Parts: sequence; structure tokens; C-alpha cells
Amino acid sequence: MTSVSFLLLIEDDDAIRTGLELALTRQGHRVASAASGEDGLRLFKEQRPDLIVLDVMLPGIDGFEVCRRIRRTDQLPIILLTARSDDIDVVVGLESGADDYVVKPVQPRVLDARIRAVLRRGERESSDSAAYGGLVIDRSAMTVTKDGQDLQLTPTELRLLLELSRRPGQALSRQQLLRLVWEHDYLGDSRLVDACVQRLRAKVEDVPSAPTLIRTVRGVGYRLDPPA
Amino acid sequence: MFAAVALVTAVSASGIAYWLNRDAVLKRAQNASLNDFRGSLTRNVSELPLHPGCQDLAALAVKVASSGLAYDVVVVDESLPGCVASSDPIAFTVKQVPPALVTAVNKPRETGPGNPYAYHLYWQRVNLAGPYVVGGTKVVPDGPTAYMFKSLQNERADLNTLGWSLAIATLLALVGSALLAQAASATVLRPVRRLGDAARRLGEGKLDTRLDVEGNDELADLARTFNRTAESLSDQVAELSAREAQSRRFVADMSHELRTPLTAMTAVTDILEDEADSLDPMIEPAVRIVVSETRRLSDLVENLMEVTRFDAGTAKLVADEVDMADLIMSCIDGRAWYDAVELDAPRGILAVVDPRRLDVVFANLIGNALKHGGSPVKVKVRQDDDARTVVVSVSDGGPGIPEDVLPHVFDRFYKADKGRARSEGSGLGLSIAEANARIHGGAITAANHPEGGAVFTLTLPLTQPPAAGPEEAR
Repeated sequence: MTSVSFLLLIEDDDAIRTGLELALTRQGHRVASAASGEDGLRLFKEQRPDLIVLDVMLPGIDGFEVCRRIRRTDQLPIILLTARSDDIDVVVGLESGADDYVVKPVQPRVLDARIRAVLRRGERESSDSAAYGGLVIDRSAMTVTKDGQDLQLTPTELRLLLELSRRPGQALSRQQLLRLVWEHDYLGDSRLVDACVQRLRAKVEDVPSAPTLIRTVRGVGYRLDPPA
Repeated sequence: MFAAVALVTAVSASGIAYWLNRDAVLKRAQNASLNDFRGSLTRNVSELPLHPGCQDLAALAVKVASSGLAYDVVVVDESLPGCVASSDPIAFTVKQVPPALVTAVNKPRETGPGNPYAYHLYWQRVNLAGPYVVGGTKVVPDGPTAYMFKSLQNERADLNTLGWSLAIATLLALVGSALLAQAASATVLRPVRRLGDAARRLGEGKLDTRLDVEGNDELADLARTFNRTAESLSDQVAELSAREAQSRRFVADMSHELRTPLTAMTAVTDILEDEADSLDPMIEPAVRIVVSETRRLSDLVENLMEVTRFDAGTAKLVADEVDMADLIMSCIDGRAWYDAVELDAPRGILAVVDPRRLDVVFANLIGNALKHGGSPVKVKVRQDDDARTVVVSVSDGGPGIPEDVLPHVFDRFYKADKGRARSEGSGLGLSIAEANARIHGGAITAANHPEGGAVFTLTLPLTQPPAAGPEEAR
């Protein structure tokens, strides 16, 4: 990661877009912005940002659709700007592949903290690798392969897999995972974990609906089971 | 009910008919015999010698008895004891005459005006192998005494026949009235009961209750009136709830619309705040006001939206199992309250709750205590004995809550001090905290500590009913 991260802000309201652009620039990011989903996708392809801050309610194609289209090809972090924390928006957004979400009106320092936390997930740390059956996690290259094939994981998915694989066989609660992966220093939204686990399973499990690697531990959380 | 009335009526009618008839029949037969006996006796007694012998008496008895009406006669004379003068000596003797009658017959009455005779004709009904009427009289002051035995067997037979007929008639009447009662309940009682049931359902709030209207009688009219009433009632309720939903939607929409400009304003307040120190001293306070009021407005709108969600019933729980101590600690840490709050919370009390909502609850309770009571604010967490609920109490060292304010602390926009129109809070904080506790199946109560200071107590179930928390599909 470069010290100055390059963000793409997709938001249709002029004042919010300008305000957030100002604030994020001030926090030390380089910001490009788009006023619609279509513009955003075009800009994304042209400029390849490090992270996208995406409004959910957009004219034309909405934020969920933008998220889905980006995820088809790319695994860069996406943070959603939603109106409400407890409605269906969050669930749909997380299922579309978003890494995190913030609720409007958002304080710029909160958004900045989330952006930095998401970006940190892609940073490499140690230099070993581990294999779980056909799944090989290379911590130095920050890559995951399954049966020799590269898996496209978002930084959040990768970090989740790394945290689970660091303690194989040990169950981690959703709140623990929120602290470790999302760096939420307060008790957060467990739906983030559930949605991310689902996406990760879809990529690493042989049969995502019958997971053998990332197991749900009822009443606790999740656990990575080394194959027997 | 109907059947009972019919039964009583039929039985008493035939009973009365039977008794009236019986009396009339018996009296007529008996009077005819007695009159005949009196006439026959008067006619025949003159032929009796002055001192009649037993033979004479027997002849008299036979003669008197032969008048045509079938009765038998016994004649006795005190001067001839042992003489059995009877028209049928085998069946009837003087021994069969009831002693009371003998006494009455032989007792002379005082004569005078209105009662010319000393001896009268007396009668009594007796049972001698069948119903009989026995009549008796002294023929002349010193003469013999004659008794008449008249069988009422035929009359009894007639009466029995009558009784049977009446019984059968009563039975028929009963069957008829039972059928009638059935018909009446079908046409009157059942519709009335149906109406009663419908009215009860309507009262229970089932406003779509309607009755089938059949026919054109008063009951049908009543059913029609009921339907009309129910119709207008449900219309009014629908209109009221539509209006309520409309105003609720308005508040929700309004808060939502306010959010967009607020998001833009919030985005730049940090910049303004950072720059405030370097601004012209004339401008700096203005900037500070914009910054602080933007945050307040933002809180207020957020709280308003929360309230509308509770009102509309769309507030949802995103539940997770968390350690209560962690939860309160992170609430205190997040707001930099460590120095002002004394936390007494054992680790290991796990509860299935929505962490965000509980954070709101604790932030409101502790923030409120800090604002109105002041340090030291004490937060104590305890699990109850049966391990089903957790109790969190937040107490402060302030003046406590005035008794008249206590019932209103959870009211929206309720200001304890009317003079202070602008308070720091939105006026919704405690109300939202309380609603958040309620959505968890818990409650918050406010009280004053005996040693001073206000105490807010939150009681929460440790687990949520299965429907409340999002269960994993896997």
C-alpha cells in the first residue's frame, strides 16, 4: 500500500459528495468522485482506485448493483454508505460483496477509520504459508490457492481466512472476529461476519452449503477445521 | 325453557280438568243416590208398624233398596240389637258403617227456626272393596236408623278413563310444545344468540364481523343495523389508523429528508472544527456554534428516526451473544467516560442482545446520569439468581429526580425544568433507551436512591425468544 490511498467516492447528492470529498482529502486520501453508478463504474475502470465508498441509493443502477458488477472482476474493498443500520440495506449490501458499511450522517473520522482498517487488511504480515487440504494460504504473497488455482479474495475475506487459519480448530466469536478483522474497537454488527463468512465459503468450500473447512459453532461463532 | 313452561302448563291444565270433573261426577252420582234414598225411605217408612220386628225392618230395607238406583240399604233399630235388616245381608251390615257417621246420624240437633228437624241425612265416602258412599239418617225420632250403601265403581271407571284420556292429551300437548319450542328457538333464539356472538367478536376488535340477513322480520332488521354499525365502526378505525400511519410516515420521511443535508454538513464540520482555532476570534465562535449545532441536529434526527421505527414497529434486533461487561466497557471507552464512571461488572455474564441498541441504552443512561447527577456515576451489573435476567443499575450522586417528574422521565420531549427550554439532550434519549429495552423483552425503571441520587435500573432477559434474533440458515 502506498501511504496516500486513492479512493473513489460514488454519491449522487452534490453537497454530500463535495463535503465527503473535502473531508477525506483532508484526512490524507486522494479522492475521485462520481455522481452515478454508471459514471462510477467507468471511473473505476479508468483509474483503478484502492477503495470505493459507495452510496446505496443511486439513480440508475443502485449501489448494490454497482457492488455486484465490481465484484465480478475485482476484489478491492468497498464501503457502503447506507441510510439505516437496521434495515434490509445492510444485509443486501453485505451479500452484494461490500466489506463494511457506515450509516449516514457519518462523521468523517469514523469513515476514515473504517477506510484505514479495510486497507490494512490487505497488508502482508508474516512470511509463512499453510495448507488445508487443497487450500494453500501463502501469507507472504497474500495469496490463496485452491487445488493450484488462484482464488480471488477481497482483503476482508483474506483477513478473515488468515485470522481463522492462525487458530485452526479454535472457535472465534463474531465479536472477536469483528475486533480482529474489522478492527471495531466496540461491539459491532455481527451481520458483517456472517455475510463475509458466506462469501468466503462460496470461494473456498467444495460445497458452500455444506461447509467442511469453515464451520459454524452454534452459540459461539466460527472455526477453521483442518481436514482430517 | 320453553319446554319447561309447556310442561307445567299442560300438566296443570289436565290436572285441574281432572279434579273438576272428578268432583262433579262423584257429587252428581252421590246426590242422585242420596235423594232417591231419602225419597224411597220417606215413602216406605210409613208402612212400618209401630213396633216393627226384625222381619219388618228387613222388608223395609229391601223395599227402600228396590227403588231403581242400584244401592243397598241397612236398617237398624236400637230396640232390636242383633237384628240384621239388610237388602243384601251378606255384603252389607251395620258394621261397615263408619263410626263417625253413626255418631252424626244418631245425634239429635236442636230444633228451631231454620232447622225444623232434629235428625239429618249424613253421608261419608268409604272404601269397602271399592269406592262407596254411605248415607244414613234416623227415620223418625224414635224409629230405626237407615243406612244406604252406593257403589261408585262405575264413576271411578269413568274417571279412570277420563284420567287416561287427559294423560294422553297432556303427552300430545308436550310433544307439540317441544316441537314448538324447537321452532321458536330456531326462528328467534338462535338468531339472537348469533347476534350476541357477533357483538362479542366486534367488541374483541374483529371489525370485519358481519351477520347474514335472512327474512324481513325484526330480527333481520336488527342484523342489518348491526352490520351497518360494524361497517361504520371499521371505516372509522381504518380512517384513524390511515391518518396515524400517514403522520408517522410524514415524520419518517421528514427525518429521512433532513438526513441528506445533514450528511453533507456533518462531512465538513470536522474541517471547520479543526480550523476554528486559526480563525478570526470574531468568526471562531460562529463556526463553533455551527459545528456543535450540526451535531445536535444530527443526533436529533437520528433519534427521531429511531422513534418512528419503534412507532411503526419496524425496529429490528440484530442479536449476538455478548459479554455484558465488554458491552458497557466499550460504551464507556467509546465516549471517553472512564474517569467519571465506576463500573462494577463481573465478566462472564453473556446475553443475547443487539449490541448497537444496548450501546444506545447505556450511552443514554450513563450520559443522563453524568449530565444531571454528576460523578461519581456507578454502574453495577448483576445476574439474577435463576440466571435468566441481567440487571444493570446506573446511579448518580446528584439531587435525584423530583417525585412529580419521576412518572414522566421516559416521556418524549419531557423537560424536567420548563424554564430551561434548551437542554443539551434531544429529549428523546430516555424514551429511546426504554423502547430499546422493551424490544429486548426487558424494562427500565427510574427511582431515587434512599441515600440520594437517581437510580435507573435496566432488566434484560439473557436470551431472546427465537423469533427475535436472526438465526443462521445454516
